[in-house]
Amino acid sequence: MSIPSQHNNNDAIVPPPRPLVQRLGAILWPAFLLAGLGSMILFGLYDPVTLAELLDPPLVISRHAGYALGFFCLWAMTTASSYLTWVLLRPSARFKAPK
Amino acid sequence: MSKTAETTSLYQRQEKIYPREISGRFNRLRVIAAWILLGLFYVVAWIQIDGQQIVLFDLPARKFYVFGLTFWPQDFLFLAILLIIAAFCLFFFTALAGRLWCGYACPQTVWTEVFVALERFAEGNRMQRMKLDKAPMSGQKFRRKFTKQFLWVTFSLWTGFTFVGYFTPIRELAVAIAQFETGPWETFWVLFYGLATYGNAGYLREQVCKYMCPYARFQSAMFDADTLVISYDPERGEKRGKRARKANLEDLGLGDCIDCSWCVQVCPTGIDIRDGLQYDCIACGACIDACDQIMDKMNYPRGLIKYTTQHAIEKKPSRILRPRIFIYLGLLTVLCIGFALGVGGRDPLITDVIRDRNALYRVNNERVENTYTLSLINKTDDTQRYVISVQEPGYEVRTWPKIEVPGGAVQRVPVTISRAVDEVSGAYNIHFIIDSADAEANSEPLSVEPSRFFAPE
Repeated sequence: MSIPSQHNNNDAIVPPPRPLVQRLGAILWPAFLLAGLGSMILFGLYDPVTLAELLDPPLVISRHAGYALGFFCLWAMTTASSYLTWVLLRPSARFKAPK
Repeated sequence: MSKTAETTSLYQRQEKIYPREISGRFNRLRVIAAWILLGLFYVVAWIQIDGQQIVLFDLPARKFYVFGLTFWPQDFLFLAILLIIAAFCLFFFTALAGRLWCGYACPQTVWTEVFVALERFAEGNRMQRMKLDKAPMSGQKFRRKFTKQFLWVTFSLWTGFTFVGYFTPIRELAVAIAQFETGPWETFWVLFYGLATYGNAGYLREQVCKYMCPYARFQSAMFDADTLVISYDPERGEKRGKRARKANLEDLGLGDCIDCSWCVQVCPTGIDIRDGLQYDCIACGACIDACDQIMDKMNYPRGLIKYTTQHAIEKKPSRILRPRIFIYLGLLTVLCIGFALGVGGRDPLITDVIRDRNALYRVNNERVENTYTLSLINKTDDTQRYVISVQEPGYEVRTWPKIEVPGGAVQRVPVTISRAVDEVSGAYNIHFIIDSADAEANSEPLSVEPSRFFAPE
Protein backbone atom coordinates (compact mmCIF):
# COMPACT_ATOMS: atom_id res chain seq x y z
CA MET A 1 0.00 0.00 0.00
CA SER A 2 1.43 3.37 -0.86
CA ILE A 3 0.43 6.49 0.97
CA PRO A 4 -0.24 9.83 -0.66
CA SER A 5 2.51 12.41 -0.47
CA GLN A 6 1.99 15.17 2.04
CA HIS A 7 1.98 18.83 1.10
CA ASN A 8 3.66 21.47 3.19
CA ASN A 9 2.53 25.06 3.57
CA ASN A 10 4.18 26.14 0.36
CA ASP A 11 2.42 23.31 -1.38
CA ALA A 12 5.69 21.60 -2.19
CA ILE A 13 5.47 17.84 -2.24
CA VAL A 14 6.90 16.07 0.79
CA PRO A 15 7.78 12.48 -0.01
CA PRO A 16 6.57 9.82 2.44
CA PRO A 17 9.15 8.60 4.94
CA ARG A 18 11.43 5.74 3.97
CA PRO A 19 11.05 2.33 5.63
CA LEU A 20 13.18 1.79 8.71
CA VAL A 21 15.61 -0.60 7.03
CA GLN A 22 16.34 1.94 4.30
CA ARG A 23 16.93 4.72 6.80
CA LEU A 24 19.18 2.50 8.89
CA GLY A 25 21.03 1.38 5.80
CA ALA A 26 21.55 4.88 4.47
CA ILE A 27 22.93 6.00 7.85
CA LEU A 28 24.95 2.96 8.92
CA TRP A 29 26.48 1.88 5.63
CA PRO A 30 28.26 5.09 4.52
CA ALA A 31 29.35 5.48 8.15
CA PHE A 32 30.76 1.94 8.01
CA LEU A 33 32.71 2.70 4.83
CA LEU A 34 34.24 5.86 6.24
CA ALA A 35 34.99 4.23 9.58
CA GLY A 36 36.79 1.45 7.69
CA LEU A 37 38.85 3.98 5.74
CA GLY A 38 39.51 5.97 8.91
CA SER A 39 40.68 2.85 10.76
CA MET A 40 43.03 2.00 7.93
CA ILE A 41 44.62 5.42 8.06
CA LEU A 42 44.67 5.70 11.86
CA PHE A 43 46.11 2.24 12.49
CA GLY A 44 48.42 2.45 9.50
CA LEU A 45 50.09 5.38 11.22
CA TYR A 46 49.73 4.38 14.87
CA ASP A 47 49.82 1.12 16.72
CA PRO A 48 46.59 0.71 18.75
CA VAL A 49 48.58 -0.76 21.65
CA THR A 50 50.73 2.39 21.81
CA LEU A 51 47.66 4.61 21.52
CA ALA A 52 45.99 2.80 24.40
CA GLU A 53 49.10 3.25 26.54
CA LEU A 54 48.89 7.02 26.00
CA LEU A 55 45.49 7.16 27.68
CA ASP A 56 45.27 8.38 31.24
CA PRO A 57 45.17 5.96 33.00
CA PRO A 58 46.96 3.81 30.43
CA LEU A 59 44.92 0.98 28.98
CA VAL A 60 46.57 -2.37 28.43
CA ILE A 61 44.81 -4.18 25.60
CA SER A 62 45.66 -6.65 22.86
CA ARG A 63 46.06 -5.41 19.28
CA HIS A 64 42.95 -7.37 18.28
CA ALA A 65 40.90 -5.54 20.88
CA GLY A 66 42.56 -2.24 19.95
CA TYR A 67 41.67 -2.54 16.28
CA ALA A 68 38.10 -3.58 17.04
CA LEU A 69 37.53 -0.86 19.65
CA GLY A 70 39.08 1.76 17.40
CA PHE A 71 36.93 0.71 14.49
CA PHE A 72 33.71 0.74 16.52
CA CYS A 73 34.52 4.13 18.09
CA LEU A 74 35.07 5.56 14.61
CA TRP A 75 31.91 3.87 13.35
CA ALA A 76 29.93 5.35 16.25
CA MET A 77 31.25 8.82 15.40
CA THR A 78 30.58 8.57 11.65
CA THR A 79 27.14 7.12 12.40
CA ALA A 80 26.38 10.07 14.67
CA SER A 81 27.37 12.42 11.87
CA SER A 82 25.21 10.62 9.31
CA TYR A 83 22.31 10.54 11.77
CA LEU A 84 22.52 14.27 12.42
CA THR A 85 22.55 14.97 8.69
CA TRP A 86 19.43 12.85 8.34
CA VAL A 87 17.73 14.68 11.21
CA LEU A 88 18.53 18.06 9.65
CA LEU A 89 17.30 17.02 6.22
CA ARG A 90 13.90 15.76 7.32
CA PRO A 91 11.18 17.87 5.74
CA SER A 92 9.73 20.14 8.40
CA ALA A 93 6.23 19.68 7.02
CA ARG A 94 6.20 16.20 8.49
CA PHE A 95 6.23 17.70 11.97
CA LYS A 96 4.05 20.79 11.50
CA ALA A 97 0.31 20.73 11.31
CA PRO A 98 -0.94 22.27 8.06
CA LYS A 99 -2.27 25.82 8.48
CA MET B 1 -5.29 -1.98 14.38
CA SER B 2 -2.19 -2.14 16.50
CA LYS B 3 0.21 0.77 16.77
CA THR B 4 2.99 -0.97 14.86
CA ALA B 5 0.68 -1.81 12.00
CA GLU B 6 -0.38 1.83 11.76
CA THR B 7 3.20 3.02 11.77
CA THR B 8 4.40 0.62 9.13
CA SER B 9 1.51 1.39 6.84
CA LEU B 10 2.77 4.97 6.72
CA TYR B 11 5.85 3.91 4.83
CA GLN B 12 6.36 3.02 1.19
CA ARG B 13 6.16 -0.72 0.96
CA GLN B 14 9.18 -2.56 -0.30
CA GLU B 15 7.95 -5.12 -2.79
CA LYS B 16 9.93 -8.34 -2.73
CA ILE B 17 11.64 -8.95 -6.04
CA TYR B 18 11.68 -12.43 -7.52
CA PRO B 19 14.24 -12.21 -10.33
CA ARG B 20 13.49 -14.59 -13.18
CA GLU B 21 16.39 -16.82 -14.19
CA ILE B 22 17.83 -16.15 -17.62
CA SER B 23 20.63 -17.55 -19.75
CA GLY B 24 22.64 -15.72 -22.36
CA ARG B 25 25.89 -13.92 -23.10
CA PHE B 26 25.85 -11.54 -20.18
CA ASN B 27 24.63 -14.11 -17.72
CA ARG B 28 27.53 -16.32 -18.77
CA LEU B 29 29.97 -13.44 -18.23
CA ARG B 30 28.47 -12.76 -14.82
CA VAL B 31 28.72 -16.40 -13.79
CA ILE B 32 32.35 -16.54 -14.94
CA ALA B 33 33.16 -13.34 -13.03
CA ALA B 34 31.47 -14.68 -9.91
CA TRP B 35 33.36 -17.99 -10.08
CA ILE B 36 36.69 -16.25 -10.54
CA LEU B 37 36.15 -13.67 -7.80
CA LEU B 38 34.62 -16.00 -5.24
CA GLY B 39 37.11 -18.70 -6.18
CA LEU B 40 39.94 -16.29 -5.45
CA PHE B 41 38.35 -15.21 -2.19
CA TYR B 42 37.73 -18.71 -0.85
CA VAL B 43 40.88 -20.38 -2.20
CA VAL B 44 43.71 -17.82 -1.89
CA ALA B 45 43.45 -17.79 1.91
CA TRP B 46 44.50 -21.46 1.93
CA ILE B 47 47.54 -21.16 -0.31
CA GLN B 48 50.89 -21.25 1.44
CA ILE B 49 54.40 -20.86 0.10
CA ASP B 50 57.25 -21.99 2.37
CA GLY B 51 54.83 -22.20 5.26
CA GLN B 52 53.71 -18.60 4.77
CA GLN B 53 50.09 -17.85 3.84
CA ILE B 54 50.50 -15.88 0.60
CA VAL B 55 47.89 -13.26 1.48
CA LEU B 56 47.72 -12.48 5.17
CA PHE B 57 46.98 -9.14 6.76
CA ASP B 58 48.59 -9.98 10.06
CA LEU B 59 47.10 -7.25 12.22
CA PRO B 60 48.46 -8.51 15.57
CA ALA B 61 51.99 -8.40 14.14
CA ARG B 62 51.26 -5.24 12.09
CA LYS B 63 52.62 -6.85 8.93
CA PHE B 64 50.89 -7.54 5.63
CA TYR B 65 52.03 -10.46 3.50
CA VAL B 66 50.85 -10.10 -0.09
CA PHE B 67 52.07 -12.53 -2.74
CA GLY B 68 55.63 -12.77 -1.48
CA LEU B 69 55.94 -9.12 -0.46
CA THR B 70 55.90 -7.99 3.15
CA PHE B 71 54.41 -4.61 3.99
CA TRP B 72 55.08 -2.68 7.18
CA PRO B 73 53.33 0.25 8.82
CA GLN B 74 56.18 2.32 7.32
CA ASP B 75 54.89 1.32 3.88
CA PHE B 76 51.62 3.11 4.54
CA LEU B 77 52.23 5.30 1.49
CA PHE B 78 51.79 2.26 -0.75
CA LEU B 79 48.38 1.57 0.73
CA ALA B 80 47.40 5.15 -0.03
CA ILE B 81 48.65 4.80 -3.63
CA LEU B 82 46.77 1.52 -3.94
CA LEU B 83 43.55 3.23 -2.85
CA ILE B 84 44.13 6.02 -5.38
CA ILE B 85 44.74 3.40 -8.10
CA ALA B 86 41.49 1.69 -7.11
CA ALA B 87 39.62 5.00 -7.35
CA PHE B 88 41.07 5.73 -10.79
CA CYS B 89 40.17 2.23 -11.98
CA LEU B 90 36.60 2.96 -10.94
CA PHE B 91 36.62 6.28 -12.84
CA PHE B 92 38.15 4.64 -15.89
CA PHE B 93 35.80 1.69 -16.12
CA THR B 94 32.75 3.80 -15.30
CA ALA B 95 33.57 6.31 -18.03
CA LEU B 96 34.22 3.46 -20.47
CA ALA B 97 31.30 1.14 -19.90
CA GLY B 98 29.18 2.41 -17.05
CA ARG B 99 28.60 0.30 -14.02
CA LEU B 100 30.78 -2.69 -14.86
CA TRP B 101 31.73 -2.78 -11.20
CA CYS B 102 28.10 -3.05 -10.07
CA GLY B 103 27.10 -5.71 -12.56
CA TYR B 104 30.08 -8.02 -12.37
CA ALA B 105 32.51 -7.34 -9.53
CA CYS B 106 30.74 -5.72 -6.56
CA PRO B 107 30.69 -8.11 -3.59
CA GLN B 108 27.04 -7.17 -3.06
CA THR B 109 26.15 -8.39 -6.57
CA VAL B 110 28.37 -11.46 -6.50
CA TRP B 111 27.17 -12.73 -3.12
CA THR B 112 23.57 -11.90 -3.96
CA GLU B 113 23.90 -14.09 -7.06
CA VAL B 114 25.13 -16.98 -4.93
CA PHE B 115 22.28 -16.50 -2.46
CA VAL B 116 19.73 -16.35 -5.27
CA ALA B 117 21.22 -19.54 -6.72
CA LEU B 118 20.95 -21.29 -3.35
CA GLU B 119 17.39 -20.00 -3.03
CA ARG B 120 16.56 -21.35 -6.48
CA PHE B 121 18.07 -24.69 -5.55
CA ALA B 122 15.93 -24.93 -2.39
CA GLU B 123 12.72 -23.23 -3.49
CA GLY B 124 12.59 -23.62 -7.25
CA ASN B 125 12.24 -21.09 -10.06
CA ARG B 126 10.57 -17.69 -10.00
CA MET B 127 6.98 -18.94 -10.30
CA GLN B 128 7.56 -21.68 -7.75
CA ARG B 129 9.08 -19.20 -5.30
CA MET B 130 6.20 -16.75 -5.67
CA LYS B 131 3.71 -19.55 -5.15
CA LEU B 132 5.61 -20.90 -2.18
CA ASP B 133 5.63 -17.50 -0.45
CA LYS B 134 1.88 -17.09 -0.96
CA ALA B 135 1.09 -20.62 0.21
CA PRO B 136 0.21 -21.30 3.86
CA MET B 137 2.85 -23.02 5.97
CA SER B 138 3.01 -26.71 5.28
CA GLY B 139 5.47 -29.53 5.76
CA GLN B 140 6.80 -29.05 2.28
CA LYS B 141 7.08 -25.26 2.58
CA PHE B 142 8.86 -25.63 5.89
CA ARG B 143 11.28 -28.14 4.42
CA ARG B 144 12.11 -25.85 1.49
CA LYS B 145 12.50 -22.77 3.66
CA PHE B 146 14.59 -24.71 6.14
CA THR B 147 16.88 -26.02 3.39
CA LYS B 148 17.34 -22.48 2.09
CA GLN B 149 18.12 -21.10 5.54
CA PHE B 150 20.51 -23.94 6.25
CA LEU B 151 22.40 -23.29 3.00
CA TRP B 152 22.42 -19.52 3.55
CA VAL B 153 23.62 -19.73 7.14
CA THR B 154 26.32 -22.30 6.36
CA PHE B 155 27.57 -20.29 3.41
CA SER B 156 27.54 -17.06 5.47
CA LEU B 157 29.52 -18.62 8.31
CA TRP B 158 32.02 -20.05 5.85
CA THR B 159 32.34 -16.59 4.33
CA GLY B 160 32.88 -14.99 7.74
CA PHE B 161 35.47 -17.63 8.57
CA THR B 162 37.32 -17.08 5.29
CA PHE B 163 37.24 -13.32 5.83
CA VAL B 164 38.81 -13.60 9.27
CA GLY B 165 41.26 -16.11 7.74
CA TYR B 166 42.83 -13.19 5.88
CA PHE B 167 43.68 -11.54 9.20
CA THR B 168 44.50 -14.57 11.34
CA PRO B 169 46.36 -17.50 9.76
CA ILE B 170 43.46 -19.52 8.36
CA ARG B 171 44.85 -22.97 9.11
CA GLU B 172 45.34 -22.13 12.77
CA LEU B 173 41.91 -20.54 12.80
CA ALA B 174 40.34 -23.69 11.33
CA VAL B 175 41.96 -25.81 14.03
CA ALA B 176 40.85 -23.36 16.71
CA ILE B 177 37.27 -23.43 15.43
CA ALA B 178 37.25 -27.21 15.28
CA GLN B 179 38.29 -27.27 18.95
CA PHE B 180 36.00 -24.36 19.97
CA GLU B 181 39.03 -22.38 21.08
CA THR B 182 38.83 -19.21 19.00
CA GLY B 183 39.62 -15.92 20.65
CA PRO B 184 36.70 -13.60 21.49
CA TRP B 185 37.51 -11.13 18.71
CA GLU B 186 37.93 -13.81 16.07
CA THR B 187 34.59 -15.34 17.03
CA PHE B 188 33.00 -11.92 16.97
CA TRP B 189 34.30 -11.00 13.51
CA VAL B 190 33.38 -14.38 12.02
CA LEU B 191 29.82 -13.89 13.25
CA PHE B 192 29.74 -10.18 12.36
CA TYR B 193 30.90 -10.74 8.80
CA GLY B 194 28.73 -13.84 8.46
CA LEU B 195 25.69 -11.88 9.60
CA ALA B 196 26.50 -9.00 7.25
CA THR B 197 26.74 -11.46 4.34
CA TYR B 198 23.48 -13.16 5.32
CA GLY B 199 21.56 -9.91 5.70
CA ASN B 200 22.99 -8.11 2.67
CA ALA B 201 22.93 -10.97 0.17
CA GLY B 202 19.89 -12.82 1.53
CA TYR B 203 17.48 -10.01 2.35
CA LEU B 204 18.61 -6.48 1.51
CA ARG B 205 19.92 -7.35 -1.97
CA GLU B 206 18.98 -4.63 -4.47
CA GLN B 207 18.02 -2.29 -1.64
CA VAL B 208 21.72 -1.96 -0.82
CA CYS B 209 22.29 -0.66 -4.35
CA LYS B 210 19.22 1.57 -4.35
CA TYR B 211 19.29 3.08 -0.88
CA MET B 212 22.70 2.49 0.65
CA CYS B 213 25.30 2.66 -2.08
CA PRO B 214 26.98 6.05 -2.55
CA TYR B 215 28.57 4.97 -5.83
CA ALA B 216 25.15 4.39 -7.39
CA ARG B 217 24.36 8.03 -6.74
CA PHE B 218 27.51 9.72 -7.92
CA GLN B 219 28.44 7.44 -10.80
CA SER B 220 26.39 9.70 -13.09
CA ALA B 221 29.12 12.31 -12.61
CA MET B 222 31.56 9.93 -14.35
CA PHE B 223 29.17 9.27 -17.22
CA ASP B 224 29.01 11.23 -20.41
CA ALA B 225 27.10 10.81 -23.66
CA ASP B 226 29.76 8.42 -24.97
CA THR B 227 29.69 6.03 -22.04
CA LEU B 228 28.42 2.55 -22.84
CA VAL B 229 25.16 2.02 -21.01
CA ILE B 230 22.43 -0.58 -21.20
CA SER B 231 19.63 1.02 -23.07
CA TYR B 232 16.34 0.28 -24.75
CA ASP B 233 15.91 1.68 -28.24
CA PRO B 234 12.53 3.42 -28.02
CA GLU B 235 12.58 4.46 -31.65
CA ARG B 236 12.71 0.84 -32.69
CA GLY B 237 10.60 -0.58 -29.87
CA GLU B 238 7.66 1.80 -29.72
CA LYS B 239 4.80 1.57 -29.96
CA ARG B 240 5.01 -1.59 -27.91
CA GLY B 241 2.26 -4.17 -27.90
CA LYS B 242 1.29 -7.80 -28.26
CA ARG B 243 1.04 -9.26 -31.71
CA ALA B 244 1.09 -12.55 -33.55
CA ARG B 245 4.52 -13.71 -34.73
CA LYS B 246 3.67 -13.24 -38.38
CA ALA B 247 1.77 -9.97 -37.96
CA ASN B 248 2.66 -7.04 -40.18
CA LEU B 249 3.98 -4.33 -37.88
CA GLU B 250 3.22 -1.48 -40.23
CA ASP B 251 -0.45 -2.45 -40.47
CA LEU B 252 -0.69 -2.60 -36.69
CA GLY B 253 1.42 0.51 -36.18
CA LEU B 254 3.64 -1.33 -33.70
CA GLY B 255 7.37 -1.26 -32.97
CA ASP B 256 9.55 -4.27 -32.15
CA CYS B 257 8.77 -4.43 -28.41
CA ILE B 258 6.16 -7.11 -27.85
CA ASP B 259 5.64 -5.96 -24.26
CA CYS B 260 6.34 -9.44 -22.85
CA SER B 261 7.85 -7.82 -19.70
CA TRP B 262 10.68 -10.34 -19.57
CA CYS B 263 13.18 -7.50 -19.21
CA VAL B 264 11.34 -6.45 -16.06
CA GLN B 265 10.99 -9.97 -14.67
CA VAL B 266 14.69 -10.77 -14.94
CA CYS B 267 15.82 -7.48 -13.42
CA PRO B 268 17.42 -8.02 -10.01
CA THR B 269 16.50 -4.47 -8.99
CA GLY B 270 12.99 -4.70 -10.38
CA ILE B 271 13.11 -1.76 -12.79
CA ASP B 272 11.80 -1.34 -16.32
CA ILE B 273 14.77 -0.49 -18.52
CA ARG B 274 12.35 0.84 -21.13
CA ASP B 275 11.79 3.86 -18.88
CA GLY B 276 15.34 5.00 -19.66
CA LEU B 277 18.60 5.07 -17.71
CA GLN B 278 17.95 4.89 -13.97
CA TYR B 279 20.25 4.96 -10.97
CA ASP B 280 18.69 1.66 -9.82
CA CYS B 281 20.19 -0.11 -12.85
CA ILE B 282 23.27 -2.08 -11.86
CA ALA B 283 24.12 -2.84 -15.49
CA CYS B 284 24.07 -6.62 -15.08
CA GLY B 285 22.80 -7.16 -18.63
CA ALA B 286 20.06 -9.63 -17.66
CA CYS B 287 17.50 -7.63 -19.63
CA ILE B 288 19.70 -7.79 -22.74
CA ASP B 289 19.85 -11.58 -22.48
CA ALA B 290 16.07 -11.75 -21.96
CA CYS B 291 15.24 -9.43 -24.82
CA ASP B 292 17.68 -11.16 -27.20
CA GLN B 293 15.90 -14.46 -26.57
CA ILE B 294 12.54 -12.93 -27.33
CA MET B 295 13.84 -11.19 -30.46
CA ASP B 296 15.22 -14.55 -31.66
CA LYS B 297 11.85 -16.20 -31.08
CA MET B 298 10.10 -13.44 -32.98
CA ASN B 299 12.69 -13.52 -35.77
CA TYR B 300 13.46 -9.85 -35.16
CA PRO B 301 17.05 -8.63 -35.10
CA ARG B 302 18.69 -8.64 -31.67
CA GLY B 303 19.62 -5.48 -29.84
CA LEU B 304 16.34 -3.84 -28.90
CA ILE B 305 18.00 -3.60 -25.50
CA LYS B 306 21.78 -3.38 -25.77
CA TYR B 307 25.00 -1.79 -24.64
CA THR B 308 25.13 1.50 -26.48
CA THR B 309 25.84 5.17 -25.87
CA GLN B 310 23.56 8.15 -25.45
CA HIS B 311 24.97 9.65 -28.64
CA ALA B 312 24.39 6.45 -30.62
CA ILE B 313 20.76 6.31 -29.56
CA GLU B 314 20.33 9.92 -30.62
CA LYS B 315 21.95 8.96 -33.95
CA LYS B 316 24.85 11.33 -33.31
CA PRO B 317 28.48 10.36 -33.90
CA SER B 318 29.74 8.45 -30.88
CA ARG B 319 33.33 7.78 -29.93
CA ILE B 320 34.14 5.36 -27.15
CA LEU B 321 37.89 6.01 -27.27
CA ARG B 322 37.80 9.67 -26.35
CA PRO B 323 40.28 11.98 -24.55
CA ARG B 324 38.72 11.30 -21.17
CA ILE B 325 39.46 7.58 -21.50
CA PHE B 326 43.07 8.20 -22.48
CA ILE B 327 43.62 10.67 -19.63
CA TYR B 328 42.34 8.17 -17.07
CA LEU B 329 44.36 5.41 -18.69
CA GLY B 330 47.51 7.56 -18.69
CA LEU B 331 47.12 8.47 -15.02
CA LEU B 332 46.46 4.84 -14.14
CA THR B 333 49.57 3.70 -15.98
CA VAL B 334 51.74 6.32 -14.26
CA LEU B 335 50.35 5.36 -10.84
CA CYS B 336 50.82 1.64 -11.44
CA ILE B 337 54.40 2.06 -12.65
CA GLY B 338 55.16 4.34 -9.71
CA PHE B 339 53.67 1.78 -7.35
CA ALA B 340 55.67 -1.09 -8.85
CA LEU B 341 58.92 0.88 -8.78
CA GLY B 342 58.26 2.06 -5.24
CA VAL B 343 57.47 -1.43 -3.96
CA GLY B 344 60.47 -2.89 -5.78
CA GLY B 345 62.85 -0.26 -4.47
CA ARG B 346 61.88 -0.36 -0.80
CA ASP B 347 64.75 -0.20 1.70
CA PRO B 348 65.58 -3.64 3.08
CA LEU B 349 66.49 -2.05 6.43
CA ILE B 350 64.90 0.69 8.47
CA THR B 351 66.95 2.32 11.19
CA ASP B 352 65.88 4.60 13.98
CA VAL B 353 68.48 6.26 16.21
CA ILE B 354 67.36 7.20 19.71
CA ARG B 355 69.77 9.10 21.97
CA ASP B 356 70.00 8.16 25.63
CA ARG B 357 67.69 10.66 27.31
CA ASN B 358 69.27 10.47 30.78
CA ALA B 359 72.71 11.90 30.12
CA LEU B 360 74.14 13.92 27.25
CA TYR B 361 77.58 12.42 27.81
CA ARG B 362 79.68 10.56 30.34
CA VAL B 363 83.45 10.86 30.88
CA ASN B 364 85.10 7.55 31.54
CA ASN B 365 88.83 6.69 31.43
CA GLU B 366 89.71 9.98 29.71
CA ARG B 367 87.10 9.31 27.02
CA VAL B 368 83.77 11.05 26.34
CA GLU B 369 80.99 8.52 25.86
CA ASN B 370 77.52 8.99 24.28
CA THR B 371 74.92 6.24 24.40
CA TYR B 372 72.30 5.49 21.75
CA THR B 373 69.73 2.85 21.00
CA LEU B 374 69.51 1.83 17.37
CA SER B 375 66.27 0.22 16.40
CA LEU B 376 66.89 -1.99 13.37
CA ILE B 377 63.94 -3.31 11.34
CA ASN B 378 64.95 -6.09 8.98
CA LYS B 379 62.40 -5.86 6.20
CA THR B 380 63.69 -8.87 4.31
CA ASP B 381 62.40 -12.36 4.99
CA ASP B 382 65.78 -13.84 6.00
CA THR B 383 67.99 -13.37 9.06
CA GLN B 384 70.56 -10.63 8.46
CA ARG B 385 73.83 -9.73 10.23
CA TYR B 386 74.71 -6.08 10.48
CA VAL B 387 77.76 -4.03 11.38
CA ILE B 388 77.49 -0.54 12.84
CA SER B 389 80.12 2.13 12.35
CA VAL B 390 80.41 5.92 12.42
CA GLN B 391 81.18 7.75 9.22
CA GLU B 392 83.30 10.49 10.84
CA PRO B 393 86.88 9.45 11.78
CA GLY B 394 88.15 9.31 15.34
CA TYR B 395 85.13 7.68 17.01
CA GLU B 396 85.27 4.32 18.71
CA VAL B 397 82.09 2.24 18.47
CA ARG B 398 81.19 -0.24 21.21
CA THR B 399 78.22 -2.54 20.73
CA TRP B 400 77.27 -6.20 20.63
CA PRO B 401 79.91 -8.35 18.95
CA LYS B 402 77.33 -9.89 16.64
CA ILE B 403 74.16 -8.10 15.57
CA GLU B 404 71.72 -10.56 14.08
CA VAL B 405 68.11 -9.69 13.25
CA PRO B 406 65.68 -12.39 12.10
CA GLY B 407 63.67 -11.77 8.92
CA GLY B 408 60.83 -9.33 9.53
CA ALA B 409 61.89 -8.60 13.11
CA VAL B 410 62.76 -5.44 15.02
CA GLN B 411 65.91 -5.38 17.15
CA ARG B 412 66.94 -2.65 19.57
CA VAL B 413 70.72 -2.46 19.80
CA PRO B 414 72.50 -0.38 22.48
CA VAL B 415 75.51 1.45 21.02
CA THR B 416 78.14 3.51 22.84
CA ILE B 417 80.53 5.70 20.90
CA SER B 418 83.46 7.54 22.40
CA ARG B 419 86.35 9.91 21.70
CA ALA B 420 89.38 11.00 23.72
CA VAL B 421 88.35 13.82 26.06
CA ASP B 422 91.05 16.23 24.89
CA GLU B 423 89.97 15.93 21.23
CA VAL B 424 86.43 17.27 21.63
CA SER B 425 84.32 20.05 23.08
CA GLY B 426 80.71 21.00 22.31
CA ALA B 427 78.41 19.24 19.88
CA TYR B 428 79.17 17.37 16.66
CA ASN B 429 77.08 16.01 13.80
CA ILE B 430 77.74 12.35 13.22
CA HIS B 431 76.37 9.66 10.92
CA PHE B 432 75.77 6.04 11.83
CA ILE B 433 76.44 3.63 9.01
CA ILE B 434 74.63 0.34 9.18
CA ASP B 435 75.65 -2.24 6.65
CA SER B 436 75.28 -5.91 6.07
CA ALA B 437 78.08 -7.96 7.67
CA ASP B 438 78.78 -9.67 4.37
CA ALA B 439 78.59 -6.56 2.21
CA GLU B 440 81.35 -6.06 -0.30
CA ALA B 441 83.85 -3.31 0.42
CA ASN B 442 83.05 0.14 -1.03
CA SER B 443 79.44 -0.83 -1.73
CA GLU B 444 76.62 1.56 -0.89
CA PRO B 445 75.75 1.07 2.81
CA LEU B 446 72.25 -0.15 3.68
CA SER B 447 71.46 2.80 5.88
CA VAL B 448 73.03 6.10 6.94
CA GLU B 449 71.39 7.81 9.92
CA PRO B 450 72.37 11.25 11.23
CA SER B 451 72.68 11.96 14.95
CA ARG B 452 74.56 14.21 17.40
CA PHE B 453 77.57 13.64 19.64
CA PHE B 454 77.99 15.77 22.76
CA ALA B 455 81.11 16.52 24.74
CA PRO B 456 81.83 18.91 27.66
CA GLU B 457 82.37 22.55 26.59
